[in-house]
Amino acid sequence: MSKKTINIPLGSQHISLLEPVRFKFECENEKIITVDSDVGFVHRGIERACTTKFKFDAIGYVVARVCGLCAITHSLSYTAAIEKLLGGEITAKSKYLRILLLELDRIHSHMLCLSHTCENAGFEAMFMRIMGDRELVMEIQELLTGNRIQFDYISIGGVNRDISSEISKKIIANLYEVKQRALGYMDEFTNNWSLSLKFKGIGALSLDDAYMLNAIGPLARASGLNIDVRNEIEYLPFDEVGFKMQTHRDGDINARNLVRLNEIINSIEMCNNILEGLPEGAIFTKLKGKPKGEAVIRFEAPRGELMYYVKGNGTAMLERVRIKTPTFSCIPAFSHIFVGENYADAPAILASFDPCLSCTAK
Amino acid sequence: MKKIKVSLEDITNEIQGFYDYKKWHFLTLNGLALEDNKLEVQWIFSKYEALDEIVIYYAEIEYKDIIASIVDIIPSAIISQRELVDMFGVQVEGSSKGLYLDEDSLQAPLSGCSI
Repeated sequence: MSKKTINIPLGSQHISLLEPVRFKFECENEKIITVDSDVGFVHRGIERACTTKFKFDAIGYVVARVCGLCAITHSLSYTAAIEKLLGGEITAKSKYLRILLLELDRIHSHMLCLSHTCENAGFEAMFMRIMGDRELVMEIQELLTGNRIQFDYISIGGVNRDISSEISKKIIANLYEVKQRALGYMDEFTNNWSLSLKFKGIGALSLDDAYMLNAIGPLARASGLNIDVRNEIEYLPFDEVGFKMQTHRDGDINARNLVRLNEIINSIEMCNNILEGLPEGAIFTKLKGKPKGEAVIRFEAPRGELMYYVKGNGTAMLERVRIKTPTFSCIPAFSHIFVGENYADAPAILASFDPCLSCTAK
Repeated sequence: MKKIKVSLEDITNEIQGFYDYKKWHFLTLNGLALEDNKLEVQWIFSKYEALDEIVIYYAEIEYKDIIASIVDIIPSAIISQRELVDMFGVQVEGSSKGLYLDEDSLQAPLSGCSI
C-alpha cells in the first residue's frame, strides 16, 4: 500500500525565522522525505550595481549594505580584494583593528543565533537573557565605529577610526562580562534539558556529508570538518592573536550550539590579545591607482566562508564583483539535513543553521 | 591563485580528475561577461587547511552554448549552477531557472548581451 504524503511549507514568512526563505517539505506523516527551497524573494541586484552605478572606491560602503549583521566581513572582503589589486600594504595597527571588529561581530552574531535557538526551544527567558547580554557587545561596536550594526569602519588602505585608551578599557571590561555570561550559557546549553538533550541527535550532518555537500562555517565545524578561513589566509595575522579552530563531532543542533559558544569565548580571548598588544602607528595608508586584474578573497564571516571575486580593468569602474555568501553555499546541506527529521523539529533545525537571507539575496 | 583554461567539452572530465572531495572545497561558479557576446565561466576551488591555495578552471563560451553540469561530481554545485542560469541567462544541464529571479524580474541582469 502506498503511503500518502502531504506538502507543508515553512516560510516564506515563519515565526521561527523573520527572513524570507521558503522550504517546501513533502512529509510522510510527521517525517520529512523531500525538501525544495526558494531563496529568491528579495534579490537586490547589488553585484550589478557594483559594476554599473558606483566607482570602485565607493563599493566598500555599498557591499556593507548586503547584510546588517556581517557588514564588516563584506566591506573587509571587498576592500582586501582592491588592496590586493592596487598592490598596497596596510599598517599593522589597521590589520589588528580589522580583526578586532571581525571578532566582535562574530560574538554578537553567535549570541543572536543562540538566543533564537532558545526561543525555538520555548526557553523565552534564556532568549531574553542572551539578547540583553548582547547589548554589551553592541555598545562596544557603537563606541568603536559609531554604529551598532552596519558600520562603515573599513576603507581602502585601513580603518576609519582610531581607538582611544578609554574605549580600549571599556571593551576589555564589557568583554570580561560577556565571557562570564558565556561560560554560564555553556552550563545551560550543556545541562539544561530544553537546550541539550532535546537537541542531541536532531538535525545531524555527518562528517562525510559535510565534505560531500561543501558545508562551511559552524555547520561544518560542528560535524568535525576543519574548515575555517581564519586558518587558511595570510592576509590578517589570526595566528598571532590566539585563533583556535573550534570543532565538534556530533553534527547535531547541540553540537552547533556548543561550537558557537566556544567560538564566542575564543573570539573574546582574541580581542583581549589584540588590545594588549596593539601596535602603535597610523590606521590608514593612502593607496594610489586603479584596480587592474582579478582577485579572489575569502574571510570567515559568522556563518562561514564569504568569498569576493573582483575584476578591474584599470578604470574607476569594475568589470565584475562576485559575492559568494555563506548561507547560499550551505543550502544543499540544509536541505539534506531536513530529510528524515520530524516536521515539528524543522524550526529548531532551521534556527540552528543561523541562515542569513539578507546575504543570500544580495 | 592558479587559473586553468579548459574547453567546455572537457570540463566534467577535468574536474572529475582534479576533485578529491576531502582535499578540495568547491567555492562557487562564477560568470564574467566578455566582449563579443562571450562569457567566461569559472569553477572555483580552495584547498582545505592550505594557505590561500585557490584553483580556478575556466572556459570561454557563447551564450547559446549548453554548459555541462558537475552535480554528479559535486552535488552542492546545483545551487551555483542555478544562480548562473538566472544571472547570465545561460543554460546549464539539469539546472532550472527561477532560484533567484521571478518571471516578472529583470532577466539575466549580469549578461553582457541582450537575450
